[in-house]
Amino acid sequence: MIDSPSVSYTGLSPVLFVLGAALVGVLVEAFVPRAYRWGVQLGVALAGTLGALISVILIAGRNELTLSRAVAVDGPALFIEGTLALLGVLSLLLLAERSPDMGGSAFVAQAAVPVGTVRDRQLATLTYSQTEVFPLATFALAGMMIFAASNNLLVMFVALEVLSLPLYLMAGLGRRRRLLSQEAALKYFLLGAFTSAFFLYGLALLYGYAGTVDLRGIFDQAAGSEKSDALFVIGLAFLVVGLLFKAGVAPFHAWTPDVYQGAPTSVTAFMASCTKVAAFGAIIRVLYVGFGNNDWTWRPVLYGVAIVTLVVGSVLALTQTDVKRMLAYSSIAHAGFILTGTIANSPAGLSSTLFYLLTYGLTTVGAFAVVMLVRDADGEAGHLSQWAGLAKRSPLVAAVFSLFLLALAGIPLTSGFTGKFVVFRAGLEAGAAPLVVIALVASAIAAFFYLRVIVLMYFSEPAADGPTVAVPGLLTTISLAIATAATVLLGVAPGAVLDLADRAALFVG
Amino acid sequence: MTEGALLAAEAVSTGEAVTFWIVGPVALAGALGMVFSRNAIHSALWLVLTMLGLGVFYFVQQAPFLGVVQIIVYTGAIMILFLFVLMLVGRESSDSVVETLRGQRQAAIVAGVAFAALVGAGIGRAVYDAPVVGLEEATADGGNVVAIARILFTDYLFAFELTSALLITAAVGAMVLAHVEKEPSERRTQKDLSTARYASSRPGTLTGPGVLATSNSLDTPAILADGQPAADSAATGIEMRELPPVPDHDTTPTKGTPR
Repeated sequence: MIDSPSVSYTGLSPVLFVLGAALVGVLVEAFVPRAYRWGVQLGVALAGTLGALISVILIAGRNELTLSRAVAVDGPALFIEGTLALLGVLSLLLLAERSPDMGGSAFVAQAAVPVGTVRDRQLATLTYSQTEVFPLATFALAGMMIFAASNNLLVMFVALEVLSLPLYLMAGLGRRRRLLSQEAALKYFLLGAFTSAFFLYGLALLYGYAGTVDLRGIFDQAAGSEKSDALFVIGLAFLVVGLLFKAGVAPFHAWTPDVYQGAPTSVTAFMASCTKVAAFGAIIRVLYVGFGNNDWTWRPVLYGVAIVTLVVGSVLALTQTDVKRMLAYSSIAHAGFILTGTIANSPAGLSSTLFYLLTYGLTTVGAFAVVMLVRDADGEAGHLSQWAGLAKRSPLVAAVFSLFLLALAGIPLTSGFTGKFVVFRAGLEAGAAPLVVIALVASAIAAFFYLRVIVLMYFSEPAADGPTVAVPGLLTTISLAIATAATVLLGVAPGAVLDLADRAALFVG
Repeated sequence: MTEGALLAAEAVSTGEAVTFWIVGPVALAGALGMVFSRNAIHSALWLVLTMLGLGVFYFVQQAPFLGVVQIIVYTGAIMILFLFVLMLVGRESSDSVVETLRGQRQAAIVAGVAFAALVGAGIGRAVYDAPVVGLEEATADGGNVVAIARILFTDYLFAFELTSALLITAAVGAMVLAHVEKEPSERRTQKDLSTARYASSRPGTLTGPGVLATSNSLDTPAILADGQPAADSAATGIEMRELPPVPDHDTTPTKGTPR
């Protein structure tokens, strides 16, 4: 007779809401006629994510380990789950956008039809699209939540796969430029599978060292152990490779620009915001809970990695001529800024990372939503030269995009400034002054290319055959409005959320 | 602790050592063969050999469940599925030999070998002469299989259940990427096809390729009575062979040609 482990359904409720929505979504796909699918799927997915958001608010402050210590319900986990649910809602609204002015749905009608065939051209004229993206997105969201909340490396690995597989699929479902989209999906899949193997190998070596995959168990085993450290260090190194890949940190960033550019922009918004939040949630949990007492093993490495990331992200972004690629390199640079806070290995490091993730995620969703609006006959107008003089065509869209760019650059009175301020302070307190100086230089370089786009939009003559700015559909408008409001609010009055992040900065276990 | 367990904890038994030194090189050869084979089918078969070797290792290490799973699931199911797929997509090796980055291959080989040496040396140092621990506890109560069942439904219950999400995603993904949904109107029933055939000018079956021709190959069109190739006998999807010019039949054939 075995005793079944106790399950805290209350503590798990955010995850259960999203997973439930995903499962219902698969059934909807099978049983609801095509005419109603889009609406029903959107309703189910929004119900799941909003349910998760509300339950996070209701159970805030819980501290427990459930399911035989596999899943943590604590401050950081709930903060990340709440952030993911909020960003998930915003991304789902973008994924569901199909207003005719914005070119209809961004997803292909039937992904299995080969590109360029007669049937493919026929389907391109129809309005319906592959509604499987909704269950896939909610599966990915559930995997992300568990990824950041797992107290056990094996659960973390399964969650990593649960979040990755749907993303690989979604990246390949673009309606326009289908070959680019499929190439992005294939690249992401191959590299992702490769680094998953690294993660798994590191997990196995750590199990060999500690005899357990429980993070606290590894912490205890490593404390005052006489054993050889080789397995411990190699295992940690492999584990970190897998985690840094998902976070898009250099030198594991090579997939980011291609995948961000090739995937449909709404999927890019989802990947850029939610995946980064989940990956950093997992990184801080692994490093702080499992390896917090052995930070000599990972701090110097992450210190170097942060410098490389900052330099690669901000310098290569200078040379980009495509908006999505520029935002991709900017997301790499932002991973470097987040690492500046993370390496502090202190409560301040934790709370600043949590806060930065929230601000970065909201701004990024907004920025990609604007990219969806600027279109020409072929779809989105990605090339920067086409953005020249955009302010004269559409002052409002140009103003909103400028706000997001200023926030990404970290100009005061935007959320990005507050975020950068707290991570740099945490880094300074932990004695990482040289890194903070490099990060400051990197933000100055980054500010240059953000401002260049703003100058281009405001002070250039519009191109003769330039793109049109689509009137955003209702869903995109809601998403953009929330992202804009949050970017301003978190810049002007960040106190309440900073307090929340401070109070959340305590791991259980 | 029994004597046998004490022995297992301190040294490797002779039988285990002998098995290791026989199966080890075989498994290693399989791995190398897999990497260096030009033919994808051969690669897959080499990999089967390696996996069988690993299965034997698991048995020897007193993990019978893992050994059986390795052989049945990996070697039996997954690799055979792999072979099916290789056969379906064609087995010709179409490796691109063009290097897009100059010297990339050499650099990759050097870096790969150096990385493998570093990791191998590190792990070898760490586990050489390391004590064997945990085997007693793991197989204490009812043996290996019972122990795995127990931890699967207690400590790793969540990981086990979460795997179902992974499987559902994989199934949905396979459907999305491979299944073409047909409109009800575009599916022609047998009745529709039959009606269309009788309404056409030629209700009978078409001539197959190769009929009355010099060859019965699928790429040879049928020959009509006047010696011309029949256009409607062409098989779809392949390029038809050019027929040699029709021989001149004016001359009277010689009678009684000796065989």
